[in-house]
Amino acid sequence: MHSRTMKRLTAGMLLVTMTLAACGSDDGGDAATPSSAASTSAAPATDAPATTGGSETTTAGGDDTTAPAGDACAPEDVVLIGQVRDETNPYEKSWLDGGDEFAASVGLEQKRLTYGDDSTKEQDQIKQELSSGNTSCYVLNILPNTEGDTKPIADAAKEAGAFLVTQWNKPADLAVEDYDRWASHISYDGVESGKLIAETMFHAMGGEGGIVALQGGLATTAAKDRFAGLQEALAANPGIELLDEQTANWSQAEALTVLQTLITKHGDKIKGVWTANDGMALGAMEALDAAGMSDVAVVGIDAVPEAVTAVADGRMTATVSSDGPWQGGVGLAIGYCAAIGEIDIASLTADNRAFYANQTLITADNAADFATPSVDLTEFDCANVFNRVSGPLG
Amino acid sequence: MSIDARPAMRSTGVGTSPRRLGIFARRRTANASAVRARATAGERVLKWGPLAALALLCMFFAWRAERFATVDNLKNVLDQSAVLSIATVGITFVLLLGAIDLSMEGIMSACVMVGALLVMNSRNANDWGLFAVIPVVLVGAAFGLANGLITTRLKVPSFMTTVGMSAVGLGVAQLLFDGDQPRVLDRPLRAWAIGRVFGFTRATLVAVVCIAIGVVIQRHTRLGRYATAIGSAEDIVALSGVNVRRYKALAFALAGAFYSIAAVLLFLKQGTGNDELAVNVNFAAITAAVVGGTLLSGGQGGVLQSIVGVLIVKVLENGLLLLDVQPALQRAVQGVIVVGAVVAATWPLRHRLRVVK
Repeated sequence: MHSRTMKRLTAGMLLVTMTLAACGSDDGGDAATPSSAASTSAAPATDAPATTGGSETTTAGGDDTTAPAGDACAPEDVVLIGQVRDETNPYEKSWLDGGDEFAASVGLEQKRLTYGDDSTKEQDQIKQELSSGNTSCYVLNILPNTEGDTKPIADAAKEAGAFLVTQWNKPADLAVEDYDRWASHISYDGVESGKLIAETMFHAMGGEGGIVALQGGLATTAAKDRFAGLQEALAANPGIELLDEQTANWSQAEALTVLQTLITKHGDKIKGVWTANDGMALGAMEALDAAGMSDVAVVGIDAVPEAVTAVADGRMTATVSSDGPWQGGVGLAIGYCAAIGEIDIASLTADNRAFYANQTLITADNAADFATPSVDLTEFDCANVFNRVSGPLG
Repeated sequence: MSIDARPAMRSTGVGTSPRRLGIFARRRTANASAVRARATAGERVLKWGPLAALALLCMFFAWRAERFATVDNLKNVLDQSAVLSIATVGITFVLLLGAIDLSMEGIMSACVMVGALLVMNSRNANDWGLFAVIPVVLVGAAFGLANGLITTRLKVPSFMTTVGMSAVGLGVAQLLFDGDQPRVLDRPLRAWAIGRVFGFTRATLVAVVCIAIGVVIQRHTRLGRYATAIGSAEDIVALSGVNVRRYKALAFALAGAFYSIAAVLLFLKQGTGNDELAVNVNFAAITAAVVGGTLLSGGQGGVLQSIVGVLIVKVLENGLLLLDVQPALQRAVQGVIVVGAVVAATWPLRHRLRVVK
């Protein structure tokens, strides 16, 4: 009957299927790279146990260093690349802005890359960037989309001899020390952030009352860790009752809907709303506002500008900052210092190769200081890049 | 195929040549009564099945979930359905054509940002108030029209056109977003979404008006009737002298206009313009439409059926949340019930859906 339309539709489907299939085989290619890279590498012995051995192989890591300070890059030859998901995310935009500030401070420009939550695109971009030029002077400061993306990225950087700093996502069994030019992996202790905001909220509630929790996407480490932090705080505060925990998938719109329903479910018993990110906190505040519940404490994580404003205005109780501009700057700074020979990656301590960085609790007291994201360029001096280390990844 | 298509067909003189008419002819030949009886029974299930499913769901939740059957909660469910309802009215016209529209997220995101930056907001000095709706609807309709023109004139499958257009819309939204979400400061304007009339949010009432407009367009305008007819038998409609390409393009434009209204409600409700507000709404709308009986094969269902689908989806979401179902399980249960509902609704029709793609 409407065969033409159907044919078009089928053609479209086919095209998409083919594209997907192509991506699939691409991934396959990525998976294959490590083994081929391992066999051609200068020190194959260290690579073999890397996938399973984890941090036990640290002692062998040093042997891998084929590029000591001798052939360091000239500062002007260094190419700085920052890659995040999306510039529409204020946090990730501030990350790239911080990278720009660092780059300008050393007379360079940062190449800003975004891949929009698309792992395949992220990897393709990196491969593309590393396919030409003097890649041994390239510095990558990368936010891997998921934990699964970190190894392929590290392998691609290794093959090209580029300097790499990754942040947030890394599987526990992937050791930075097994890669001679993967300088550092920086992350934040989600348990700590979840706990910090929970304690602040409980304090604001006077130590008793009911709360509801809005979690992030349940499959993510960040969601699990942050919620674990809430549970730790709950265990220490018997006066607080967790009425309900739901997921709003990090989404502002979904948080509004979910909390609206939870308000019908629990009503005035809700004295506090714990959310795993600020987007959900903002959605939650709209739901509370619509229900006329203005005295409910709301906390979130990430310190997005709007949340910081809300904290400053007293509409929101607290949020936690990982300091995006610092992350964007320091990742490039570590790589840059390594590239010009100021930092010898092989001699870095384990705490500097993979670490949790300090995070800052933002309350009404200090919100004004965070209203405009800014960087302190002295923190990017080669001697200071590890000043914010709070401890090894746990 | 559907009831609504026939007057349109008749008025354009179709029906004079039985051999070319295929299924229309069969339905008009009284002798083929067996076929006809089965078809109408199937149609009835398609029309009333989802409504029965909705009633069953409501009864189940009223029985199992303590707070479900309270007036406040039902008002909530209606409020939560408002944005999706309007968007689904829009996509229904495209689905009736037998085409698909995957550009909703992009169009809505662009409209959200355009709107949020035109009303009184924290980013610039604009203060268009309610007049901001006009440019927003124009933007939505323009995106939709572009979908329609590219699909019909350049012969690109709607699937691809609209995926591309979605990316364009998201790009525009991201450019406008620029990392800093504008807060809507115009409280009286926001009352259009969150203010209450007789306890219902105004968003609910806006949605009801949009649904009514959708029903009128579907039943009483050429655009609506041709959309159904084109979805049933495009070649025949074309042979009968209807400018199919024009009406297809218009249906896409109409869909875009509805998305833009949904977008306005969305950002007024959220109080901010954020390019991620519309995430997932596209598939929610398609799911709702199909669950309600507006099938992807075209020519089946309509605005009211799709709205029943929206309510099924939203009641399910709300009920499972109230039931203390483990969060991780809720989504899975939703999926199972949705697929089950579609299978049940289309079961009597399966002999007629000869090809499933």
